[in-house]
Amino acid sequence: MKGLAVAVFTCGLAVASTQAWAIKHGDPVAGAKKAQTCFACHGKGGHSTNAMYPILAGQYADYIIRALHDYKDGIRQNPIMRGMAGSLSDKDIQDLAAYFSSQPTTLYTLKR
Amino acid sequence: MRAKWSLAVGGMSLFFLVAGAAQAAGNPVAGREKAYTCLGCHGVKGYRTMYPSYHVPLLGGQHAQYIVNALMEYKNGQRKMATMQAQAESLSKQDMEDIAAYFSQKKQ
Repeated sequence: MKGLAVAVFTCGLAVASTQAWAIKHGDPVAGAKKAQTCFACHGKGGHSTNAMYPILAGQYADYIIRALHDYKDGIRQNPIMRGMAGSLSDKDIQDLAAYFSSQPTTLYTLKR
Repeated sequence: MRAKWSLAVGGMSLFFLVAGAAQAAGNPVAGREKAYTCLGCHGVKGYRTMYPSYHVPLLGGQHAQYIVNALMEYKNGQRKMATMQAQAESLSKQDMEDIAAYFSQKKQ
């Protein structure tokens, strides 16, 4: 009985924290719809096969958010990405980051 | 006869094109050595920058060409971030290509 209570509590906590994450970091489902334009260069699901364009699938969400804001603000100078990021709202950026970061990935942390 | 000749020329230029590309690519073994400093951040799972705080990107398995471009952009100021600009400053094009060759290896 005690075990069940702990399990229920843990599940509740997991759901709550997932929701908190989604609110704070964007909605991957909305992001998937907004990401269609990105696929042209970054590949379907962010699995880019063109070496010019980075693989986005599985990249950290907060790094993607940072990159898009930097493009938008001209801190990162790239004519193509400035045009793309320039039209995105903060919410769009969070949704896109949530989507790409949640995709299955071939990226990994390098070994020291 | 003429078709055969142009096929031979075509094949030869393809060979040189491929050989040239292979030569231009970096050396992952040299890259492993040169990447020592990089791994202080990029080799730590979940590592974050100090301020503002966000994860440093996952670079293992990323495209080599993109990594070289990113480093060049830091070096020439098209991309601004103090730590990375300081790192890229001291790297030659060959260093960048070697490091990128090492980073871009598929996960084993």
